Amino acid sequence: MSQSVRITVDGVEVQVEPGATVLTAATTAGIAVPTLCHEARVDPMGSCRMCLVEIEGQRRLQPSCAFPASDGMVVHTDSGRVRRHRRVLLSMYLADHELDEDGLPKERGTGNRLRQHVLEHGTGPTLPPIAADRSYREDDNPYVHFDPEACILCNLCVRYCDEVEAVSAITLANRGSHTTIATADQRSLLDTSCELCGGCIAVCPTGAMTERPALGLDWRREEKIRTTCNFCGVGCQLDLHVADDRIVRITSPEPGRTVNDGNLCVKGRFAYEFVHHDDRLTTPLIRGGDGELRPASWPEALAAAAAGLLGVKERHGADALGFVSSSRCTGEENYLVQKLARAAFGTNNCHQCAAT
Amino acid sequence: MERKGARRERILELLEEHGGLREGVAAAISAETGVPEADVYGVATFYTLVSRPGVGVRICQGLTCKLAGADARAAELQGHGVDHEWVSCLGRCDRAPVALDPELELIPWGARGAISPDDPELPMNLGGADDASYRALARARGIGAAQVIEQLRAAGLQGRGGAGFPAHIKWSAVRGEADPVRYVVVNADESEPGTFKDREILLRRPHLLIEGAAIAAWVVGASIVYVYIRGEFTDARRSLEAALEAAAPHLDGIEIRIVAGHGAYICGEETALLEAIEGRRGMPRLKPPYPTRSGLWGKPTLMNNVETLACVPSILLRGGDWFQSWGRDEPGSKLYCLSGHVARPGVYELPLGVTLDELVEAGGGYVGTPRAFSPGGAASGFLPISERSRPLDMGGLAAAGSMLGSAGVVVLNDTVDMAQAARWQAIFFQDESCGQCAPCRIGCSLQRRSLDRWIDDRDPATLQHVEEIHWEMEEGSICGLGMTASLPLVTAMRHFPEDFRSQR
Ligand SMILES: Cc1cc2nc3c(=O)[nH]c(=O)nc-3n(C[C@H](O)[C@H](O)[C@H](O)COP(=O)(O)O)c2cc1C
Ligand code: SF4
Repeated sequence: MSQSVRITVDGVEVQVEPGATVLTAATTAGIAVPTLCHEARVDPMGSCRMCLVEIEGQRRLQPSCAFPASDGMVVHTDSGRVRRHRRVLLSMYLADHELDEDGLPKERGTGNRLRQHVLEHGTGPTLPPIAADRSYREDDNPYVHFDPEACILCNLCVRYCDEVEAVSAITLANRGSHTTIATADQRSLLDTSCELCGGCIAVCPTGAMTERPALGLDWRREEKIRTTCNFCGVGCQLDLHVADDRIVRITSPEPGRTVNDGNLCVKGRFAYEFVHHDDRLTTPLIRGGDGELRPASWPEALAAAAAGLLGVKERHGADALGFVSSSRCTGEENYLVQKLARAAFGTNNCHQCAAT
Repeated sequence: MERKGARRERILELLEEHGGLREGVAAAISAETGVPEADVYGVATFYTLVSRPGVGVRICQGLTCKLAGADARAAELQGHGVDHEWVSCLGRCDRAPVALDPELELIPWGARGAISPDDPELPMNLGGADDASYRALARARGIGAAQVIEQLRAAGLQGRGGAGFPAHIKWSAVRGEADPVRYVVVNADESEPGTFKDREILLRRPHLLIEGAAIAAWVVGASIVYVYIRGEFTDARRSLEAALEAAAPHLDGIEIRIVAGHGAYICGEETALLEAIEGRRGMPRLKPPYPTRSGLWGKPTLMNNVETLACVPSILLRGGDWFQSWGRDEPGSKLYCLSGHVARPGVYELPLGVTLDELVEAGGGYVGTPRAFSPGGAASGFLPISERSRPLDMGGLAAAGSMLGSAGVVVLNDTVDMAQAARWQAIFFQDESCGQCAPCRIGCSLQRRSLDRWIDDRDPATLQHVEEIHWEMEEGSICGLGMTASLPLVTAMRHFPEDFRSQR
């Protein structure tokens, strides 16, 4: 590896790997640069202009998310010019965004980074709304809700869908002030390659993309509880958002921390309705001689199952039994099922629903 | 994500074959190219010539055409029950007002524009016979690549597409790149309002361009040249195609491919143009890296404007010093596009650095009492007529807070309300912004709204924040479009405050 790069950000000298961006250098120096269209999992686009900084020797302000750090570079992230730029830019964003009673970017779903930036950096002149005309067709899919009025066109959802999921169900469409996010021919997501993983929601900085089942909920009231998804054996980590003892939304821990790297699938993110469903079984049931199911304790249920299985073995031999385990089981659980089949019952008839 | 080996670059020609974007077309093209359907849809909706099939007559709403009575023509068409749509400047301001029929052929309303009279001493001499001898290419091969670059340096040839970057620096940069695969791209997208010189080169002297491009390819070591030609220039494309056939025996392994544009001014910006050839939405890339290092498909790419390349043959035949001495304070001759309130609009080849008065004299004089002019396309803003003796060159105009740009000179007389003139330019930029970056996307809409409000209500408060928005568009935009888009408004307010003063 070639030598590291020395760069000075707001007077702090740091060393970064060759190829690192100015933004990485600033972060290393402990300096926060506001961003909107930046996400480590996708290529930088540099289009939101929030992260522009002054670099000595460069005539123009440059996007720190994309600009490569080089040896001896001197960067200013808090000069008068940069601060003025941030304030006027934020004023302009406000002219193209739905605002609340306080004139701040409206909160949706899991918070609004634009709002945070406005609160932190302030704004310039108060500008009239531009009322951009973005043709958008309502979509009836059950999970992903898109509100073009809250969209700042950072294009993260599109890039995530394409670069991370390789699903490519959405795109930037039209141009100029008509630009919006769309599917092909503006169809419902259900009629596209979309897998409803909801990653677009996770990367959206403003909440323009939100979980439809959680629309209108106040994220500040939600408590996060970390757990492991039990839909398959990958072991994705989930944060269950709980309000009033009910799961109201599920998100992934932030990228880079857990095995799922910020990603979830449609089941992990959206299939939680069963938890609070009336039809959910919460105790074992044993079918009596009259054909009716009656609640039982676990020891009773396990004893009944064991007796039934041993009975088959006795009457017809061990190979009359077969064990099929579930792809919702972990590797350890799958191991135990085959051990049960082979060691306890003496048959090799074991299978798993994900094995073909 | 596109399939490996996807034929993305075919998307736009396929859209044309399918007759534009209708329901199901994106899916069909996705199957044919291996590019995801949504992606195809996103590309298609970017380009006006394919995004809305079934448009009837296209009428130009550029400044010059509006001055020349485009509204009356539109009303006439309406009266005859002909469907029409207003479109951005069609690059034929010398015969304003202008419209295209549904096949994109010119509707001959006005006479053809003028050109400088035939004079063999002129470097490009649009009035002369085209020369298909390819002597300059032979000479380039004779003197060698290094000497060709040296002649360009001596000539002082600067890019004629708007930015004025010295040609020899770009040529040697691409020539010096390590990657053996390089491309030459000719920028024939000419869409800056008021500009129509490249079109005249393509129509009258296409061999000048082909020869210049072939020399460029030979010098930088490229075997393929792409000519990206504005989609609305159907006549110029035919002229170029015919000339390419005649040129073939001379090109000796250099392949020249024509790629048509599909209706997007921004694709004249060099990196947006590369995106368009690659079959993407024409959104400018971040620079660095510059195309000379990472251009078409990531390869070193030399891009020049049509006029820049058309200067090359005469430089090689008569010497860089000869070309250099053509100019006044800056080197060479220049094609000036003259339109608006003048007697004979047209393309005039004159020493770089003539004054407005000299140019207009070549064009038969002013019509009415001149009041303002826009010296270099919409992006150059407006200057008051008191600047009529200023040299029309890069330094001269930059000193006045303007620019030579594409040398599309539009003259406005005292019948014009400068707020209205600024508004036509603001509409142009709002329609043509690619929309990827917020300062330009939102700023163009804000400035347009301010002007609308001013013209409708004459309330000065609507213009209160024009300067601050302009500041941010200039500082924060990704490309030149956003950086300059509010100059027409800002300069109109600066130089013609009386048109922005409340009468009440
Ligand atoms: C918004 C915008 C539009 C442009 N349009 C054109 C154009 O139509 N034709 C052109 O040659 N250059 C155009 N340019 C300039 C090109 O980006 C580039 O500088 C030029 O093609 C380089 O060639 P040259 O060095 O020979 O001038 C445009 C630039 C911008 C920012
Ligand atoms: S300045 Fe305008 S045209 Fe240029 S990249 Fe930004 S939005 Fe697109």
